[in-house]
Amino acid sequence: MTYLLLSNLSKYYGNTLAVENFNLEVERGEFVSFLGPSGCGKTTTLRMVAGFEVPDQGNILLEGEDITYLAANQRMVGMVFQSYALFPNMNVADNVGFGLSVRKMPAEQIRQRVSEILKIVQLEDLQKRYPYQLSGGQQQRVALARALAIRPRVLLLDEPLSALDAKIRVELRAEIRRIQQELKITTVYVTHDQEEALSLSDRIVVMNKGRIEQIGTPFEIYNYPQTEFVASFIGQLNLIPVQVVDREGGLYRIGGQTIQVEQNHRTPLSSQPKLAIRPEEVKLGQVEGWNQLTALVRQVSFLGAIVRIWLEVEGVSLLLDVFNERKLVLPKVNEKVVISFPHHACWVL
Amino acid sequence: MSKPNTLWSWFWMIVGGLYFFLPLLATFEFSLKARKGVYSFLAYERVFADPLFLRTFIFSLEMAVFTALAGILLIFPTVYWIRLKLPQLRGLIEFVSMLPFVVPAIVLVFGLIRVFSGAPFFLTNTFAGTNILLIAAYVVLTMPYLYRSIDTGLQAIDVRTLTEAAQSLGAGWGTILFRVILPNVRVSILSGSFLAVATVMGEFTIASFLVGIRAFGPYMSLVGQNKTYESSSLAIISFALTWAFIGLIQLLNRGRVQTQIAGAH
Repeated sequence: MTYLLLSNLSKYYGNTLAVENFNLEVERGEFVSFLGPSGCGKTTTLRMVAGFEVPDQGNILLEGEDITYLAANQRMVGMVFQSYALFPNMNVADNVGFGLSVRKMPAEQIRQRVSEILKIVQLEDLQKRYPYQLSGGQQQRVALARALAIRPRVLLLDEPLSALDAKIRVELRAEIRRIQQELKITTVYVTHDQEEALSLSDRIVVMNKGRIEQIGTPFEIYNYPQTEFVASFIGQLNLIPVQVVDREGGLYRIGGQTIQVEQNHRTPLSSQPKLAIRPEEVKLGQVEGWNQLTALVRQVSFLGAIVRIWLEVEGVSLLLDVFNERKLVLPKVNEKVVISFPHHACWVL
Repeated sequence: MSKPNTLWSWFWMIVGGLYFFLPLLATFEFSLKARKGVYSFLAYERVFADPLFLRTFIFSLEMAVFTALAGILLIFPTVYWIRLKLPQLRGLIEFVSMLPFVVPAIVLVFGLIRVFSGAPFFLTNTFAGTNILLIAAYVVLTMPYLYRSIDTGLQAIDVRTLTEAAQSLGAGWGTILFRVILPNVRVSILSGSFLAVATVMGEFTIASFLVGIRAFGPYMSLVGQNKTYESSSLAIISFALTWAFIGLIQLLNRGRVQTQIAGAH
């Protein structure tokens, strides 16, 4: 039996579509991320699971129980908010123990559970501190501990790292995944940060304009995007207009240069076909048996671990990423170069 | 350039200070002249010795406390609910909260007497009924102060997210209201309450028509009409009382500025 089932969920605000026909099955212990741009409906969907929004259509089943219209305080669903939402009048221990005291758990048991959970989030020494005495990262750990303390059936996280700076974000992200795996808790995570979704999730639901674009593992989503939106939203992607030479044979033309694509027919060919290829799949120089194109170097940017090169191929710009190394010889601006990419690494949309 | 600016600031501060404090000082000085030729607190002694002073003072204080309590019970959940569920009604509620400034107290009290003297209420026929009516009128009169204070307090916290966080942890409305929201707007509520108490303690119009000399306001007016020095001492006592309440508000607000520990994690 599916642990969490979202079936045909739709939500409208007046005439504005927020979520339409959303279907998802989440297994017990799975980490699923909703990924998409602002306004794509990911938070609305999460809020429907939490019980803060009522869907106009569809059902939500948790462990086989229909919770679509169940009040938020009866769902046993833990929620972590972007703004932490710690209770300013309570110290860390009281915040974490709040859900347990609401359930009238004996004080000694609350104390024990709070200590246990604070140990997991590595804040056991800060029990007496108030939220205003904590940094953003610490506050979010407390919020996570508070949500976990009630042993929720599902943990929901609504962009929990957005308000933190980059370094803490990366640290806390790893910690969230560690805790999730340690407690084997079913988790739904909302983010607009693709790196976050790719690094954390068992599966990603990519959303756009209230609809699901694609559901898959991070590997599938990145390497086998099914729509142009997914392809361009996740990672960097080169999209170059092509003319069809022989579709069955996978032959296309960019200006005067012909390329071969290992054909797959997952998506229908659009009226204006484009060749899609990730910048890291393109190599400088000639490689035997690969597609080759002549290009003009327009700009070279050093980004630390990688070097990004802006090229121009038949009047269309194309990005190329090279891993940085000390002996790397970089092309000069306006230099004519040959680039290569394998047949299997590109596809036509 | 900054020196002339500072001088002008001091000049206007002194002018303002004189404008406010000179009449007060003059009143205080006058209140000390009850005994011919020497300064004394005789007028104050006479006021405190008058049994009517203590009786009216306690009565008005009781009315003030009940007014503050009734006002909090009415306004706090209302403002919370409007912020949470009906933000589109905020403009209307703000307008309503300002009405006591627009409608004169005399109009309010005549309206109350007219409506609640006859069937089916008959509130003015008994002391208890009149007191209830007086408190109800004072709740309306002090609504702008309580509403503003509570609304400002709720504005400072993220009401919606705190409510949702508490809900997700299993809390019902009572728990959310009294364990999560109320403690975070406690200072605002107390500030509003003190303003309400101060207003009620000196109120004359409504009290004189509903309860007459039983209240402190009409008592002060009566003394002012008949006893020269005592009326000045009462004015000073009344000022001192208001300042004491303002001082309490300041005391409660002190130390509220909380700074986030930067950088640590």
